[in-house]
Amino acid sequence: MRRPSNFAFSTYDSFINEVQDDASISWRKRKKHFFILSHSGKPIYSRYGDEHKLAGFSATLQAIISFVENGGDRVNLIRAGKHQVVFLVKGPIYLVCISCTEEPYMSLRGQLELLYNQMILILTRSVNRCFEKNAKFDMTPLLGGTDVVFSSLIHSFSWNPATFLHAYTCLPLAYAIRQSSGAILQDVADSGVLFAILMCKHKVISLVGAQKASLHPDDMLLLSNFVMSSESFRTSESFSPICLPRFNPMAFLYAYVHYLDGDTYLTLLTTSSDAFYHLKDCRIRVENVLLKSNVLGEVQRSMVDGGMRIEDLPDDRGSRSGAVSSHLGQPGHATYSSERFDEAFLGVGGPAGLWHFIYRSISLDQYVSSEFSSPINSRRQQKRLYRSYQKIYASMHEEGIGPHKTLFKRDDNYVLLCWVTPDFELYAVFDPLADKALAIKTCNRVCQWIKDVENEIFLLGASPFSWWTDPGNTPLPEFAEISL
Amino acid sequence: MGCASSVADRNSGRTASLNPDNGGAVDPKNLKVKLVLLGDSGVGKSCIVLRFVRGQFDPTSKVTVGASFLSQTIALQDSTTVKFEIWDTAGQERYAALAPLYYRGAAVAVVVYDITSPESFAKAQYWVKELQKHGSPDIVMALVGNKADLHEKREVTTQDGIDCAEKNGMFFIETSAKTADNINQLFEEIAKRLPRPSAA
Repeated sequence: MRRPSNFAFSTYDSFINEVQDDASISWRKRKKHFFILSHSGKPIYSRYGDEHKLAGFSATLQAIISFVENGGDRVNLIRAGKHQVVFLVKGPIYLVCISCTEEPYMSLRGQLELLYNQMILILTRSVNRCFEKNAKFDMTPLLGGTDVVFSSLIHSFSWNPATFLHAYTCLPLAYAIRQSSGAILQDVADSGVLFAILMCKHKVISLVGAQKASLHPDDMLLLSNFVMSSESFRTSESFSPICLPRFNPMAFLYAYVHYLDGDTYLTLLTTSSDAFYHLKDCRIRVENVLLKSNVLGEVQRSMVDGGMRIEDLPDDRGSRSGAVSSHLGQPGHATYSSERFDEAFLGVGGPAGLWHFIYRSISLDQYVSSEFSSPINSRRQQKRLYRSYQKIYASMHEEGIGPHKTLFKRDDNYVLLCWVTPDFELYAVFDPLADKALAIKTCNRVCQWIKDVENEIFLLGASPFSWWTDPGNTPLPEFAEISL
Repeated sequence: MGCASSVADRNSGRTASLNPDNGGAVDPKNLKVKLVLLGDSGVGKSCIVLRFVRGQFDPTSKVTVGASFLSQTIALQDSTTVKFEIWDTAGQERYAALAPLYYRGAAVAVVVYDITSPESFAKAQYWVKELQKHGSPDIVMALVGNKADLHEKREVTTQDGIDCAEKNGMFFIETSAKTADNINQLFEEIAKRLPRPSAA
């Protein structure tokens, strides 16, 4: 896409774009390329390098795809040594990923789907009509200025579990705080707003949909990526057309976006193009309530305190007497609080060699992951852990697998324990020397812990799905014996 | 400075969308007007607005998405105040079809180009035509050549700007959001040219 000369590149990726084409060694050395091109072979987007300099390369990709298509077949994957080339055809738009990261095909394909839907979020699928009128249509001007949206999405493929879990995560908050923000959002939604979403960075504080309207977690991911990567939303209130691909890929909705503080933003979506002043009024109402009930203060506190820490895993099922003890954000870590962000926080690891976990609630479409703790301290270790999760998730979700499944896997780096049930999925990572029986026991404790604090870590009741019922009475399944 | 001549008593058409609700009564001493900025991407529309509203200049350009809304009130020497409700639109091609949403019913349109970019000047002329066709008939239009501080890179002469503005009955000014040159003057001049409701 066209890059204005005075555009300040916020990412290293974009900076590199200025100097690379497919002949340069640095371009070839990149581990993971993403391309979008049209069915006539015109480049639309490239993660690295200038699309226009990659016209020849694009044409080659197009030739491969159409050669196979002419034989009445479809090319999905090509392996070439360490490299995988993954293809996704979406009508007149082709997406290609070339990677030597050893990620599973399913994950890479999922990433191409998200990349495509990110583009649909900006343009709607009606962009296909341009190709019907003119097969050689050049799409790059239509995506002007959106480079950073794509590069930020691609970056999130290596840190945000939402990109492969297809679930969203909530900012941990006291139940009453989340309730009061949900109530005012509901109030606003009743006045003709389709979706009201309050988020802090990529975490949901509360969200409400108008009757029968449900928001897909992938749409939330793409919407929040779009808002967070577009700096202009931070400067003032904005009103912009936006398409939610999983809601209706053909139509624009109108998004009112306003940052309430540095990280917290309210997005109000409507079908009406002239609703700006109404949405502005809604935002003022929401903001007043949030200020009065100190929701924004609590949000800031939660950001500092962080979420579930494996060091805090309660001892055993029996010791739940004081409900307070299992609450999040309680004192006891106060000494860390100033340096608790990301890798700055050096935990000591959890019981039985537990290092990290991700829990995904299927009925809620939400997941929760523990904070990183020792020894997963550096970005590199976090990324490696993330890739392991991604891999194991893909293998647990291969086609033809029953609703219940467990897996215990030991390699040089970790013990990985997965437990997939119709209600939830748990992925836990342990020390490579962890004892199996103890690890299983620990997983049961993690599940119990999550149940104990679920009304703080999840958005309950306000789920977009109406069949959600309070799980309070359903017994927790016991993760007993594992067959390997 | 001083009193602006009353050009027309009509209230610019407020039937269309995205117009502030003035509550019916128009106070001749406290005007509230809808202003829209149009122009190619990267000419500095947002920088002009942010300089005017917040007195800031951020050299890292942030591509506007859709349109941003800001407001600023200024006091004129005749003790009237004018509250500008500003729609700062995105210059990207994909938003062009949406521009009517923002300029419909606007009392003021500010068409911006970059004096170092003839393409942006051509785009400005496109917007002028578009506004003449579809804007309010009594819309106040200003043509603004921004980035006037970059005179060594200038490619659109001041005379070209003046000619274009005169031909289309517009007010013309060259500004620099970076140095703040002529930014307040731009909005003060606009305020003086606004049609005043009759004080009768």
